Amino acid sequence: MESVFILVVVGLTSAGAYILGITRLGFSKSGLWLALGKACECVGLTLVFCVLNLAVAMFAIFVMRSLSGRFVSLYIASDTTFFMLSWLQALAFQAWREGSRRHHTSESYDSELLHRQP
Amino acid sequence: MIRGLGIVTVVAFLLVSFTPLPNVLNQWAGVTAQLQPAAAIVVLGGGMDGDGVLSTSSLRRAIHGIMLFQRGFAPLLAFSGPVSRPLGREEAEVRAEMARLLGVSPAAILTEATARTTRAEAVCMAALLQPRGVSTILLVTSYAHMARSRQLFENVGFTVQPAPVDDISHVHTPEARWESMRPLVQEFLARVYYRIAGYL
Repeated sequence: MESVFILVVVGLTSAGAYILGITRLGFSKSGLWLALGKACECVGLTLVFCVLNLAVAMFAIFVMRSLSGRFVSLYIASDTTFFMLSWLQALAFQAWREGSRRHHTSESYDSELLHRQP
Repeated sequence: MIRGLGIVTVVAFLLVSFTPLPNVLNQWAGVTAQLQPAAAIVVLGGGMDGDGVLSTSSLRRAIHGIMLFQRGFAPLLAFSGPVSRPLGREEAEVRAEMARLLGVSPAAILTEATARTTRAEAVCMAALLQPRGVSTILLVTSYAHMARSRQLFENVGFTVQPAPVDDISHVHTPEARWESMRPLVQEFLARVYYRIAGYL
């Protein structure tokens, strides 16, 4: 019951956003597939950062254990905050990557224009 | 590559949230109870806050152990659980105090407060109980934690009868499914680590 309720609510708001985007904001239909692809990239990056953070955290805990001689629990590495921060890392990295791509594209376009000038 | 990873993650997210997959995985990884009389009931540590309040897991394990004792499954009740900073209270002692208040004879209660890992708990409990002639135990810990714990206690010479608490293999809401996946993933990683370290 809860599962169906959640899916219906998210389905309704998604449909609303789609209609708003097409009718009022002038978004293209094909742009949605591109955006979904970018969203999947961001999710993939979140997973990469999660695994990276987990590996570094475990390594750091082992180093702390061996250097200080004190017990540090490995369960610290499973804190939910790591997941949220990994998501933020992925968002920032994705935006950075997109920004750099746009910058490169506009730079190469400008230089092409310069070379064409007589 | 990254996009493919994202698609796999989204599919996994949907499967965990909206299908019985977590229940199936937990049933596969968990151990069912085998409640038979034993020489002692061993209740593993489950964590305590710095202010001396038992975690939900610790409390559930302790109550389950006390109930088994009150039902006559064993003449000894052993609690594990280390000192929690900054107050310096022992989790094992807090649970022992609770057991005494709930009517368990002080003579039947044993505590072990030095072990900080499951492996250390097995070794320390062996040192505490085996000189008393205890070889068969009822082991009380969380459902997902039982398989690894059982193996570690068998490795130090105990015959283990599992008495798991928190059976998380029958959850029905998306949030509960996610909560049930967390200990499963933790245990999976712990098993990998214990295998690499040669403890299992």
